[in-house]
Amino acid sequence: MASRRPGGKLSQPASDRSLVEAAQADPSKFEALYELYFELVYLFILGRVHNRATVEDLTSEVFHKALANLSTYECRETPFSAWLFRIASNAIADQFKRASRERRGTEDTLDARADISSVEMEFVERQAMLSQLVEKLPELQGRVIKKRFFEQRSIKEIAQLMGKTEGSVKQLQFRALQTLRQQMEDRDA
Amino acid sequence: MPERSPSDQLDLAINAHLADAEAPLPPALIVAELLPLVGSLRNLPSPEFKARLRNDLQRRISMNRTASSSTTVKPTRFRRDDFPNIAPSFFVNNAPNFIDFLIAAFDGTERIRVPRPDGSIQYAEVAVGNSVIELADASQEYPQRSMTTHLYVPDADATYGNALAAGAMGVYAPTDEHPSGDRWGEAKDSFGNTWYIATRKGPVPGAEGFLTVQPYLHLSGAHNMIPFVEAAFGAHATGLHKSPGGKVLHATIEMYGATFEIDEAHGELQPTPSYLHVYVPDTDALYAQAISAGAKGVKAPYTAHYGDRAAIIADPFGNTWFLATYIGEAD
Repeated sequence: MASRRPGGKLSQPASDRSLVEAAQADPSKFEALYELYFELVYLFILGRVHNRATVEDLTSEVFHKALANLSTYECRETPFSAWLFRIASNAIADQFKRASRERRGTEDTLDARADISSVEMEFVERQAMLSQLVEKLPELQGRVIKKRFFEQRSIKEIAQLMGKTEGSVKQLQFRALQTLRQQMEDRDA
Repeated sequence: MPERSPSDQLDLAINAHLADAEAPLPPALIVAELLPLVGSLRNLPSPEFKARLRNDLQRRISMNRTASSSTTVKPTRFRRDDFPNIAPSFFVNNAPNFIDFLIAAFDGTERIRVPRPDGSIQYAEVAVGNSVIELADASQEYPQRSMTTHLYVPDADATYGNALAAGAMGVYAPTDEHPSGDRWGEAKDSFGNTWYIATRKGPVPGAEGFLTVQPYLHLSGAHNMIPFVEAAFGAHATGLHKSPGGKVLHATIEMYGATFEIDEAHGELQPTPSYLHVYVPDTDALYAQAISAGAKGVKAPYTAHYGDRAAIIADPFGNTWFLATYIGEAD
C-alpha cells in the first residue's frame, strides 16, 4: 500500500506525478492512486455531504470518473488531489440536483466547493492517516475497532462474535485507542 | 460504589457518542486524552466499502483491457473523430422531413445522406453541437420508435423556440424551476419523439465533461439495466439515485467516454425502447460479452465497407444496440 505523505496539502510531489503517469500508461497501476487518495476523497465528500450512503455513492462515482478520464489529466495544470476534488464537487452538485428532482427534500445542503482550505486539508489528512493506522493495528484490536465504529456494534455483540468476555473486549478497545493515539503523536512528531 | 475502570469509562463515553454524535463527550479524566479519537473513528470509511470499490475498479480495468486486447482492431483509436457520443438512431417515417426538423430545431448540420433509389433515406447523420444524431427511414426490420433524447444546449430558450417554430409541440417551456437545477424544457416532435432541452447551470463540467446529445431511456426495471451494462459493456453507472424502494430515479451510464441516461418508467413516462449506436474498443469482444450477459444477437460482427467492425444486439429491455469499432477505411 502506498503510504500517505505527512502534511501533503495540495502540493504535487514528484512521486505522485510518477504514479499518475504510470497509471496513464497502464490502468492496472491505478490502484496505487486509489490507495493513496481514497480516504482523502471520501473525507472531502463527507465534509460536504452528511449521509453516509450518499458519501459512498459519490466516492465511487469520483474514482470511476477519474479512472475513465485519467488520460485527460495534465500533471502540469493542477495537483491530482485538486483534480479529484473538482470531480467530487461536480458529483455533489449533481447529487443535489437529483435529490431536488425527486422532490423529497434533501438530507444535505449543497456544498459543492472544489476548493479546500489548509485547515480542512490538514484535518482531512489526519483523518486519512488515522484510517490507515487502523489497518495496522494488532489483529484483535483492529477487529474490535472496526466492529465498534464502522459497524457500530455494541460491546455485547462484539464479545459474542469474538467469543470473548465483554470486559476483555473493552480492554482491547481501550488498548487500541491508546495505540492509535500514540501512533498519531509519533507521526506528528 | 467502586470506581469504574478506564476501559469502562471509555466505553461509557463511546456509547454516549455513538448514540448522539452531536452530544458533547462526557468528561472522563482518565480517558480524556483518547476521546477525540472517538469522533474521528466514527467518520472513517469502512474497510468493506474501500475493498468493494477497489474490486469494482479492478474489474472495470480488467474488462476494458479484455475489450481492447483483440488483434482485430486498432486499440488506440476505435471511435470516429466526429462521433463522440452514444448516438440515438432514429428510424422514422419520412426521414427527409426529420432531417429538416433537426436542422431547424437544433441548429443541426447534415453531414451524411445516403438515399435509396426511391428517395427514402438509408442512412443519414446530423451533427448537433458536439454530438451526432443518426437517422434513416423506418422499415419492417427497423420500425419507428418514439425515443427520448436529452440535449444540452447553450440557450435552452432559443432552442425550445426554434423547435416549436419547426413544428414541435411544447410540453413546457424552459424554466429555472426544474428540479434538476438546470434550465430545462420539454418538447415533442411530430415524429413522436421527446426532447429534453436543457442548459447546464451551476458548477461547470470538470474533467468528466458532457456531450450535447444523450439518449434517455425510460425502462421497466431500470435497476436491472445497471448490472447488465456493467457485464455486457464494462459500463458504469454514475450519479445513481434510487428511491427508498430501490427504483432508479435517475442514473447516467458511462461507457467508453460517452453517456446515456436511464430512469424507471412510471406514469406518462412509459418504457421507450430505443436504437443506440455506440463505438467500443472491440466489437467482437463486446458482442460476445453482451451475449453472455443476456443480450440477444441480432447480427454477428462483420466488417462494414465504410471502415467499421460492426454488430447488432438487442438488450433484455428491448433496446437495439449498434456496436461499432472504427478500423479505418480500406486502402
